[in-house]
Amino acid sequence: MSALASRWPRPAMPSNKVMGLLGVLTLLGCVLLAISQGAYGLLIANWHQGGAEVFWHIRAPRVLMGVVAGMALGVSGALIQGLFRNPLADPGLIGVSSGAALGAGLMIVVGWPWLGARAGPWALMVAAFAGALLVTALTWRLARREGQVQITRLLLVGIAINAGAGSALGLLSHLADDEQLRSLTFWLLGSLGGSQWPAVSVCALVVALALSLPLWHPAQARALNVLSLGDTSAQMLGVNVQAVQRVCLVCVALSVGAVTALVGMVAFVGLLAPHAVRLLAGPDHRVVIPGSALIGACLVLLADTGARTLVAPAELPLGVLTGFIGAPAFVLMLHRRAALA
Amino acid sequence: MTIGAHQLSLHKAGRCLLDVPHLNLPAGQVHALLGPNGAGKSTLLKALSGLERTVAAQVVLHGRSLDQWDILALAAHRALLEQDHRVPFDFHVTDIVRMGRYPHGARPHPREVDLVSNCLQQAGALHLLHRRYDQLSGGEKARVQLARVLAQIEVSPDDHAARWLLLDEPTAALDLAHQHAVMRLLREVAAQGVGVLVVLHDLNLAAAYADQVLVMNDGRIDAQGPCARVLQPELVARIWGVVCERVGLGQGWLAFS
Amino acid sequence: MKRRVFMGQAALAGPLVWPAWARAAGESAPRLISLSGGMTEVVWRLGAERWVVATDTTSNYPAAAQRTAKVGYMRQLSAEGVLALQPTAVLGTHEAGPASVLAQLRQAGVPLMLARADHSFQELLAKVRLAARASGLREAGQALEAELGTQWQQALRRIEQVRQQRRQRQAAAPRALFVMNHGGRPQSAGRGTAAQAMLDLAGAVNALDVDQGYKALSAEAVAQARPDVIVTTTESVEASGGLSGFWRHPGLAYTPAARQQRVLVMDAMALLGFGPRLPQALMDLHQGLS
Repeated sequence: MSALASRWPRPAMPSNKVMGLLGVLTLLGCVLLAISQGAYGLLIANWHQGGAEVFWHIRAPRVLMGVVAGMALGVSGALIQGLFRNPLADPGLIGVSSGAALGAGLMIVVGWPWLGARAGPWALMVAAFAGALLVTALTWRLARREGQVQITRLLLVGIAINAGAGSALGLLSHLADDEQLRSLTFWLLGSLGGSQWPAVSVCALVVALALSLPLWHPAQARALNVLSLGDTSAQMLGVNVQAVQRVCLVCVALSVGAVTALVGMVAFVGLLAPHAVRLLAGPDHRVVIPGSALIGACLVLLADTGARTLVAPAELPLGVLTGFIGAPAFVLMLHRRAALA
Repeated sequence: MTIGAHQLSLHKAGRCLLDVPHLNLPAGQVHALLGPNGAGKSTLLKALSGLERTVAAQVVLHGRSLDQWDILALAAHRALLEQDHRVPFDFHVTDIVRMGRYPHGARPHPREVDLVSNCLQQAGALHLLHRRYDQLSGGEKARVQLARVLAQIEVSPDDHAARWLLLDEPTAALDLAHQHAVMRLLREVAAQGVGVLVVLHDLNLAAAYADQVLVMNDGRIDAQGPCARVLQPELVARIWGVVCERVGLGQGWLAFS
Repeated sequence: MKRRVFMGQAALAGPLVWPAWARAAGESAPRLISLSGGMTEVVWRLGAERWVVATDTTSNYPAAAQRTAKVGYMRQLSAEGVLALQPTAVLGTHEAGPASVLAQLRQAGVPLMLARADHSFQELLAKVRLAARASGLREAGQALEAELGTQWQQALRRIEQVRQQRRQRQAAAPRALFVMNHGGRPQSAGRGTAAQAMLDLAGAVNALDVDQGYKALSAEAVAQARPDVIVTTTESVEASGGLSGFWRHPGLAYTPAARQQRVLVMDAMALLGFGPRLPQALMDLHQGLS
């Protein structure tokens, strides 16, 4: 530190490497917890009487899906909050969640025999993913003016598109018969149940590709830091604001779209994970982005473990648990932040 | 070493926002940009900094028009300080100042480590070094942002290209002592060869510290030249509609009635 | 008891068969999971309730069924939860789900015995046959089938009798409307519902024979439909706070049924569940409508 600065000593904070290690260890702990808990107890004891199969074909893909979903939602939350310069932003703002819901709703209620015949059980996931991408692209397109996207405009267009998609979903709910309505309702509540290796592998691949840029290239994180100063200030500092916006939106659309297509709507994770990281380790996006991946994964794993075990042999929807864990955690964090200030 | 513009004109929704046929500002001087509200001062500043993409070809910095400059190289040689100092997340003061170094990632300064503290000291904000930015007062935030733009144009000693500081009302949130401190700082910076273009509302402040003053009205530069020659009561009455008279104290102050 | 190898789902589930499961099956007493209220009633009527390890949340009759372990709502099962109970058979209707969880269960070799819920007497017979097969009570199953068949024929004959008499008198079939309100907004039954099927069997005409499924009650549409009698469930009347509260609903208050206070209140599961109470429920419905 320079001679000048040493007159004002910096308050002690654990280094980023230590926090990173702690985060990875916590995630491993959550994975172990998720793997060992479940309605099918004592896997090791009855490994040869069906326990091995339950582990490999039911619990393991589900835990992996939980990690993938948590990372996708956490990182996307961090990217969106950085892009909108607002800690209350959430990936749903750009229409990706409501687009997926609309795609799923159309598939459930109206159906598309051509796709259903060719894709079978994959049809619903494909429809939801396509819906997410199309609605996000529409939001992006409508927010462009003179070749540029202003964030405030993107926010307003996103609100309008979400409202429109919501109305369309309401119409679909009205047109649905009893069975379709229940399918739609449960899809909207979100669940990791029914996760199987083929679908989970494809989803993990898409998410890994989508998140490779923000997670492994610090340049994107540094640019998001500078973006906090404002669009014009960032431009003056040499940040290609339009490119940063495009990268963020593509990453979020692909990763959240893929996850929502498989799991349904999961609330709170995208909002909560970046907040937690900022409280623990500061607002530098080089830390917030990977940190949100870790914390998001932990949150989803914990919520899913609860969903599977609290009312066994039945199961609670995932969204209920993320809310139950997330809401008090959020309030606690705000309380602690106010106390620190 | 100069920043200049040629046939710079900007129209939006039928209104003429800027009409500057020719402009040439040498570096190493403090230029004050004055004018009533809506005269186009901020617009001219944005155009000269390159924010207005449509007229980037008409602005020339160091011999090249703005649209020919590489975005990061341009950022390393000219900084714009705007009026909005809000930052959404709880960054520390050092984080903010360090953001000014973003364009220099490829060519760091030999004394990069000390830059943050040096710039903060120049801006009179060194005592804020470990504070959180969002907890500062408006004036303190303004000074931290000033340190940030100073850090932005701090280039390696072997880079001799002209550097420019464009400031939009930097004294707006500051108390009397800090207003003068900032203006003194700008003179020091100009003495090191940096070109300074600052929008001010206080004519006396401009008269005390600026080498040259440009008076704008309705998107045009009405008058340009040394303060003593330009800032006359007749001009003030014509442009601002305010009656004043020169008072012969020190650097020729204006007293308003 | 057969282990099903489900190759059709290979694209989604992967080509696996669980040998360990097959070994365990067929070696001990049946362990049954019963989904859907009607199926559970059938299991109890057969006398197979001692082998039931769990039911779903719609299985509330008889009272003993409420005290079994619950696997959740039949359309939202948990694979691990079902497998943890180590069932020898899962009984229910084709409405069980979700499809991916059913695929996982099939993959694990759990026999899924699901009757087609087409709202007919065949549905009830299918339930009896599947339950008899799963529990090994073949004679009891055949006896129950015969008993229900007799009751059913009796009911159909009586309904036909009344229909002939009505035709001779040139009187119209009664116009009925099925209304359900289990908390929230009241709904009427359209085409394709169990309620519609029951009204058809009982020789009545659904006064509001439009849309598919249960739809929110439109006051004006109901007033225009002019049903002579309202059929509803006991839970709906309770939710409305008694019969007086029930009639106060704007859609129902201005119908011919309201003027004559003609309402038929029946137990929801007996009427719509297509369980062993079906023939009796049909008789009760028919009597109430005439």
